[in-house]
Order: sequence, then structure tokens, then C-alpha cells
Amino acid sequence: MSSLLSVKDLSFSWPSRAVLDKLNFSVQSNEVISVLGVNGAGKTTLLKCINRILSPASGSINLLSQNVLGMDIMEVAKHVAYVPQSVGTNFPMNVFDVVLLGRRPHLQWFVGASDRDKVSECLHFLDIDEFAFRRYDQLSGGERQRVVLAKALAQEPRLYLLDEPTSDLDLKHQITTMEKIRSIVSDPTRASSAIVAIHDIDIAAQFSDKIMLLHEGKIRAYGPPKEVLTPELIAEVFGVEAEIQAYSGLLRVVIHGALKNE
Amino acid sequence: MYFVGGETVNALSVQHREQGRSQLVKIGLMGLLTVFVSLVALGQGSSSNLDVWTTAKIVLGLEEGTSLQHAIIWELRLPRVLMAIVGGIGLATAGALMQGCLGNPLVSPLTLGVASGAALGAALAIVVGFSITSVGAFAIAGNAFAFSLLVVFIIIQLGRYRSISAESYILVGIAITFIAGAIVSTLQFFATDAQLSQLAHWSFGSLSRPDMTVVYGVGWCVFALLPQAMMWSWDLNALAMGGDDFAISTGVNPVRIRRNILVLSALMTSLIIAFTGMIGFVGLAAPHMSRLIIGNDYRKLLPASAVCGAFLMVFADTVGRTLFAPIVIPVGIMLAVIGGPIFMYLLLQSKGVQR
Repeated sequence: MSSLLSVKDLSFSWPSRAVLDKLNFSVQSNEVISVLGVNGAGKTTLLKCINRILSPASGSINLLSQNVLGMDIMEVAKHVAYVPQSVGTNFPMNVFDVVLLGRRPHLQWFVGASDRDKVSECLHFLDIDEFAFRRYDQLSGGERQRVVLAKALAQEPRLYLLDEPTSDLDLKHQITTMEKIRSIVSDPTRASSAIVAIHDIDIAAQFSDKIMLLHEGKIRAYGPPKEVLTPELIAEVFGVEAEIQAYSGLLRVVIHGALKNE
Repeated sequence: MYFVGGETVNALSVQHREQGRSQLVKIGLMGLLTVFVSLVALGQGSSSNLDVWTTAKIVLGLEEGTSLQHAIIWELRLPRVLMAIVGGIGLATAGALMQGCLGNPLVSPLTLGVASGAALGAALAIVVGFSITSVGAFAIAGNAFAFSLLVVFIIIQLGRYRSISAESYILVGIAITFIAGAIVSTLQFFATDAQLSQLAHWSFGSLSRPDMTVVYGVGWCVFALLPQAMMWSWDLNALAMGGDDFAISTGVNPVRIRRNILVLSALMTSLIIAFTGMIGFVGLAAPHMSRLIIGNDYRKLLPASAVCGAFLMVFADTVGRTLFAPIVIPVGIMLAVIGGPIFMYLLLQSKGVQR
């Protein structure tokens, strides 16, 4: 079976420094991949390269056996939805219309009944229908985050790129949101996948099929949480002393403290 | 399907559709109001036997009217009112387009320096007597238009840079404004009193210059550009909503779309400003007033801004003509005097600033 996404020798650099150095990996359908790494490790850059926001220096990105770098931006948006860490605006826009933007790649100019219903479903699915007609710019950070996620759902992509989708959420919504992402990706009728940049190791361990450890622009480890989350790798990548506990089927990473720099 | 919704889902869709319809009704009402004000405007003037009521009856064909009355209405008053409508539509649309594609609510059609280019062209024609189009009546307007096209050309060149951001456009516009302003000041320094007065008059922004030929010409151009502007409303929604990254993930190429939109709005602005002089406020205020009335969905906001702009221009010009009649205060001044306070009131109202 060919993979949903396959990335080969992907490199990206800013004029002053190299960020990504020859990344190779592939993503299968119905997988949630968590990308872990310290600040500046290249998590966001990786997502932005896949989505064509940034142009990689070299390498190839194949989505559904098509070269993403040669595709029209509108074509990419039909298959890939990107949720940035935060989206701010200076203009008053109501939540329903923001989510409706997710239908943009699929419609010409007029909004059909099916587009409206899709938006309504997504709002309802993420439990934000109560503020469907409130102004986006007057929502809290966590509420905004869920609205932008709803916009991505309305886009009906094959690949979700989520940049810290839980960073502004309270404890309960972190879990429910991840559960919902998990349930969408697991739906066999849709064959979609998600790549999630995240800082919370426990949430990553709980909800992902695979974890990618990015370290100094390279993939240090890529595989199931049990294999990737070891005290040695965590010490190397994050510089903390950690202990891995298995707790009723879940992995828990207990941090004992920061390691002293040699 | 993993979504369960049923009635809630249906209710949301219905509410959104209803909201869209009520927005259209609001735009329609604004349009009616504009037509009404225009009729009143046609009835205002120094001719004592031609009041609002008589004029309305003649225009609607209910009364015959003398040939003098016809001449006053169709040749003197109508071009002025039509130019106010066309100018209002064009400048307000350009303002809405630019605010959206630059993601900045402070932007107006004058921000890119198009008007400064026009002012430079006008100053050269008035003071030095240099005009690219040295055909009598069009010497000043033609030169103003030619020099504002120069600014449009600079914008197109800027758009060739792949990584040009919204801020760069604004900053370059400010730089152009300063450069053109400096040259105009220099010209003023050497100008005679008569030239100075003519230049000052040009810069006020007035609707008394255009005749019916100009109104037709500018009008057709503006109306030909409007459908293209409407086609971009989705892209504008994406750009205004979340900037470049968000736009790309929605399928919009921000660099290309922004350049195209800016070129179109700059063209629209130069067309109007060349013949009316500096009119800035309507392009800033009309889009914001419309946002307060119908929100930021560009599919509705563009037509609403156009109608609102037309209304503001006709209203301000009519007040300017009647307030101290027979002295006519230029519409550029009246717009700021009347529109400014209304604009501030609406903004403060919507923010609910009182604690």
C-alpha cells in the first residue's frame, strides 16, 4: 500500500541557519503522528513546508502520489488543512463565516446548502455551536483555537497539520479535542491522517500512533510511543531526567528535573 | 459518519441563511436611502423655481418642466450627483479591497501614494505647465491620472518580489507620499499666487469639475472593474481573517492576489481622483461603517461599502452646497466634517467603551 504522505530528503534553511536537514519519513492513512522537540527544533517549519507556506531548499513531498511542490495552492488546500498556533484578526468576522472559509477550496463563489450543513456539523462536533454567530475577534484564545480547528474539519482534507492544537485549551478541552481529532483520523471511511506538533509528551503518548522526535533539524527517532519515549532519548533531546511509567495501559512520563549542562 | 447533529445542525444552517438574507435587505435599504438622497440632491440649487418636489416630479416624468429646468437638472445638477455616486462607489470599494488584502483597518485608497502621484501630476500641470495630455480641459486631470499610473506601475514592480509583505506595500506607499509631497511643496514654493490658489482648490476635492462626458467615462470604467472585485471576496475574507499563512491553507496565493487587488484598487482610485481631486475620507470610513452594519463577509461587505460610499458622497456634497449657499464648500472638506463625527460615534458605540 502506498503511503498517504511521503517526505524525502526534505531540507529547509533560513539565510542565517539551517532548520531542517534531510528529513525522510512517511505517513500512512488513519495515523496520528506527534512531532516532539524543543523550541526551534523545526516542528512548525516542517508543517509549513508540507503545506507550501514555506518553500523547502531541497527534497520532495508526495501526497497521494502527487508532488505537493508542483501543485497549485488551491489544489493543496483541497487535501491538506493547516491549523496555526494562533490566528489573530483586526476585523469583525463571525465564527460561522470563519469556518465557512474551510469550504473555499471546494466551492466556486456561491455557498450551497451542503456547505452550510458541513460547517454546522463541524461546529456541533467541536461543541462550539453556541458561539456560531459571535464575533471571532471577541472570543478567548482557547475558543479561537477550536474555531480554527473547525475550519480545518470543514475543509475535509486527507491530511491535517496541527500546530499545538491544545496550547490554549483548558485541561478538559485538551483531552476532548484530542479525542475528537483521534476519532476523525481513525474513521476508516475517510482515510485521513494528522501530523500534530505538540509539547505535552503525555498527550502525545496517549493519542498518537507514532511519535517523531525532532532534534537539531534531524529526525532523532520515529516510531510507536513505547519505542520512542525512553529515558535516554528524552534526556538527549529535551535535556531532562525522565522516568517512563505504564499506568493502566497509558504511558506517563515523569520528569525528575533538568539535566546539568556538561 | 462521525458527526451527529440533526436539529442543531439544521438550525445553525437556517440561521446563517437568514442572516445572509437580512444582510441583503440591509444593503437594499441603504441603496434606497441613497436613491432618495440623490433625488433630494438633484432638487438643491440656486434656481428658485426648481425645488426638491418639482425636480423629483420632472425626473420621474410626472411633470413636463421648461427647457431651462431640464437644462439645469440634466446638465448642471445630474453630472455632479452622478459623479458623487460613481466616486463614492469607486473610492469606498477601493478602500474595502485595500483594507482587506493588507489586513490593516487603517488603510485608505490614499495610503499607497496613488493620490500623491495624482497631486504631483496636477501640480506640474498647474505650476510648470507640463502635461502629458496637453489637451486644454484635460491638462490637469490627464496629468494627474498619468502620474498616479506611475504609482500603479511601482506597485506592479513591487509585486514581482516574491516575499513582499503587506507592510512593505504600506511603507513604500508612505515613502512615495513623502517624496511626491516634497516635490509638490517645492513647486508651491516657486508658484504664483494664482497657481497656488488653483492648486489648493484641486487638493480640496470637488465635484464641480466633471461634466457628463467625464462621468460616463469614469463611471463605465469603475463599473467594469466592480465584478472582478466581487470575484475576489473569498480571497479577501481569507486574507483579512488570518493573514498569509491562513490564506495559503485556505487555497489562496496571498502574494499574487494581493498584488492584483492593489493594482485594481489603485487604478480605480486614480480614475476618480484625477477628476475630483483629493477625496480620502470616504475610502476609509465607508468600509468601516458597512462593517458595523453587516459584518466582515466580503461577499456582502463590498456591495455594502459601495452603496455606503455613494450615500456619504452625495449627502456630504448636498450639505456642502446648501449649508452656506450660494457658497459651495468642496465635498472633500464636507466629508471629513460630517463623516468624521458620525464615524467616531459609530465606532465608540460598537466598542461599548463606557464603563
